[in-house]
Amino acid sequence: MLTIDRVAGVALAVLALGVIEETWRLALPLGSLHSPGPGYAPVLLSLVLLAFGVALAALGRGSARLASLGWPEWRHAAAILGACAFAALALERLGFRLTVAVMCGFLVGVVERKGLVVTLLFMAAFALGTFLLFDTLLRVPLPRGPRGF
Amino acid sequence: MLETFQNLYFGFSVALAPSVLLYAFVGCLIGTVVGVLPGVGPLAGISLLLPATFGLDATRAIVMLAGIYYGAMYGGSTTSILMRIPGEAASVMTCIDGYAMARRGRAGPALAIAAVGSYVAGTASVVALMFLAPPLASFALRFGPPEYFSLLLLGLLVLAYMSGGSMVRSLTMAALGLLLGMVGIDQMTGYFRFHYGVVELGDGIGIVPVAVGLFGLSEILLTAGQATPPEVMKPRLRELLPSRAEWTQAALPVGRGTLIGFIIGIIPGSAHVISSFVSYAIERRLSRRPEEFGTGAVPGVAGPESANNAATSGAFVPMLALGVPSGPIPAVMLAAMMVHGVAPGPLLISQQPQLFWGFIASMYVGNVVLLILNLPFVTLFVNLLRVPYPLLYPGILVFCVLGVYAVNSSVVDVWIMLVTGALGYVLRKLAFEPAPIVLGLILAPMLEMALRQSLAMSDGQYTILLTRPISGVLLAVGMILVLLSLKPLVTRGLDWRARLAMAEKGEEL
Amino acid sequence: MSVRRLALAVLVLCATAAPAAVAQDAFPSRPITIVAPFPPGGVADLHARPLAAAMEKVLKSPVGVVNKTGAAGAVGMQHVATSKPDGYTLLLALSSISIIPEADKLFGRQPAFTVDQFEPIALLSADPTILVVRTESPWKTAKEFLDDARKRPGQISFSSSGVYCTLHMAMELLQHAAGVKLRHVPYAGAGPAITAILGGHVDALASGPAAVVAHIKSGKLRPLAGWGDRRLAAMPDLPTFKELGYPDAEFYIWAGLFAPRGVPAPALARLREATRAAVAEPEFRSAMDKMQTPIAFKQGDEFKRFFEADARRLAAGVQKVGRIEDKK
Repeated sequence: MLTIDRVAGVALAVLALGVIEETWRLALPLGSLHSPGPGYAPVLLSLVLLAFGVALAALGRGSARLASLGWPEWRHAAAILGACAFAALALERLGFRLTVAVMCGFLVGVVERKGLVVTLLFMAAFALGTFLLFDTLLRVPLPRGPRGF
Repeated sequence: MLETFQNLYFGFSVALAPSVLLYAFVGCLIGTVVGVLPGVGPLAGISLLLPATFGLDATRAIVMLAGIYYGAMYGGSTTSILMRIPGEAASVMTCIDGYAMARRGRAGPALAIAAVGSYVAGTASVVALMFLAPPLASFALRFGPPEYFSLLLLGLLVLAYMSGGSMVRSLTMAALGLLLGMVGIDQMTGYFRFHYGVVELGDGIGIVPVAVGLFGLSEILLTAGQATPPEVMKPRLRELLPSRAEWTQAALPVGRGTLIGFIIGIIPGSAHVISSFVSYAIERRLSRRPEEFGTGAVPGVAGPESANNAATSGAFVPMLALGVPSGPIPAVMLAAMMVHGVAPGPLLISQQPQLFWGFIASMYVGNVVLLILNLPFVTLFVNLLRVPYPLLYPGILVFCVLGVYAVNSSVVDVWIMLVTGALGYVLRKLAFEPAPIVLGLILAPMLEMALRQSLAMSDGQYTILLTRPISGVLLAVGMILVLLSLKPLVTRGLDWRARLAMAEKGEEL
Repeated sequence: MSVRRLALAVLVLCATAAPAAVAQDAFPSRPITIVAPFPPGGVADLHARPLAAAMEKVLKSPVGVVNKTGAAGAVGMQHVATSKPDGYTLLLALSSISIIPEADKLFGRQPAFTVDQFEPIALLSADPTILVVRTESPWKTAKEFLDDARKRPGQISFSSSGVYCTLHMAMELLQHAAGVKLRHVPYAGAGPAITAILGGHVDALASGPAAVVAHIKSGKLRPLAGWGDRRLAAMPDLPTFKELGYPDAEFYIWAGLFAPRGVPAPALARLREATRAAVAEPEFRSAMDKMQTPIAFKQGDEFKRFFEADARRLAAGVQKVGRIEDKK
């Protein structure tokens, strides 16, 4: 019977074990109790997380069942995350204004399906407006695109 | 005493001069605008706008920077309350109850209480700063690594009170946060830990992108795709101010928050970010209705906001009295002073009375200006919430990306925000509260470094933590708190947590 | 002629004029960015901004400063090392530029950047570090301090801005030159290191003079000796370790302007010329004076020699320090 606590507990326990393994693989010295090395605290904290993960899974019978969780908004969430990923990739390559314009255009026009006029207004307002306010007026350096735009 | 008032009068004459006042006002305005950006708090605000002050003379420049600093703090609480996006790392706790109040239609009161609480805290700590700066600063300097470690350990205890419900769940989140704090360069030995070739992770996973991602982005992810969009809030004018009941509820938390925040703030280092967490925990512990926290409890907004403001004012104490950069924000202010030819140091107060007292007076003035500025802003911001959500959230998203990027001009931060946003979405679906992750992330590197420094100082002896007086006292207090919270196990009473759990399950007491 | 035709004509005129303008435009034709790899208010930043302002005046073209912080400067340095070598992205580096790749090598990491990826343009300032102790401490001269350190190895503590960072390396060079062993307590940056000695948590500190001069004047700290080649102008009574018989203890916290290797020669020449003129600008001088940092301008071969000698010293120092963890 998959309950959320059990799934979460197991996932976190696996993460903790992964960190311990990485500490060993990266050869981070453990040092001693009186002079802890760089590997000491990560291993210690992984053991703590492992303990909690196991406890969570063991006590997890009473929580809600995994199947009962609804994910109705996952498509929207995926689209938003995609837009953010695009922003991360494009921000320094295309410059701030172009990136924001594309992001807004995608979210307002494609995901939310508002009309063309609304989308274009939104794109212009946010891309140009925020740039004007922060880069030009407040001199907060924002990345510019290939031709300095 | 009389001399202090004379000096203050002198300071006010400097600060209220029209040209200086103008700069304070401009600083507050700019600070508020910048502070509204998610993740951009006072430090980023001052750092970003420092160049703009280079052309000014020393007093005006410092006054404007102080205005920017306060404005950023006020602006930060606005986004926390209205959109559940932390304006800066320390506003994370305000997101929880502040946003809950906004959802119940009490956005105006939440903002007003935050503003007034910040004003009271700011003014009170400036008064303390005025009278007590030198002795407090000397006391603060006695905090070395062992004391720091004990203080932070106390801070860990706070985690137990941060969320209701199952203790195991919130501690698990805390453990996850603590582990995430291990990424970065180990400052004691020079080893890079878990950075996998990304140089930007050398300083660890940034708190700002994590806070914005876990709270702000996850909120957008959860709400944007809902079949029934959230109700557009239509606040009315008379609902913008808190009711009498709300004011009374806020009064004591503001006082406590101010005290806690100021004390934590004067300690050199970056401990001041935990002031809002500590205040939240204390308010919850002392409250007669702890189950309200998380659903819009007034003390949950009043306490942390005041603590936050008081802590950042407290951080100025060592800076002004001794010329010691006690944290990143005072360091930038000190640099600003140096650039303008003012040599910071213990003799600052006597050699540059105009600057010192002008600065103090401008802090009073700044607080008042912001209170006045924010009340119309409250109506403006609350009206922003009328925009239908499908159009609102892309705008918020742009601001999140902008804010997170601007802090360090780093795209890696945007990626961190993305990943933690997805993580926050999943966690909230699984009914975990992500707030302890942020506290763990902040505390882990500081705790580890303080402990290892203490061991380096004492050549490996753990007893240094007990033999040094301040550290010993702090540890004793911590021990007492732990024993007190274990009391219910002994007396077989039901503590508030068990009652809360039972209430959640719908059982009767 | 209709308005439309007129507008079109103007447009065509501009379009034809523009390429001609671009073709004639020498370097710089776009804003130049100086990257400061440390947070605002730090030493690098406080050099970069007045320099940028002065260069803007000289070049009559905008010069801006961007802070790219992280990993003790490695993030900003790597960014410039891998950026396009067209002369529009420059780096204001501190002496840590020579230390970071060595530390990377020590740990067997892929270095974030190497010193060869940079072309030095000019040195701006070079402050030797000075040794300070609290006035309450029993050592009145450097000799007393070092003698005591020899008698009690590993007992006298010192703070630093971080492991393998400038203030740590200075002390390491002294320890090797004088044959003493001190106890190191690293802190996260120069600010906390200074706070630590003021609070009495450590016994000694190697610091840049500008940061501690206020505390020396107010009587809290006592300077014992300096790591320079010559005595400091601001503290003529302070002996150097060289005079005291330890010529290997030479360390400067310097700030210099660099460009990525491969910048075309005309642009490089223009930048060098501009820096020379900028340093002579009165505003730059007064900014440096306000920060109590003497200008030590070096260019061309002179700077190259200084830089290479310094880099060799530091590389040897880092190798000698070794991996601290392994020595326990």
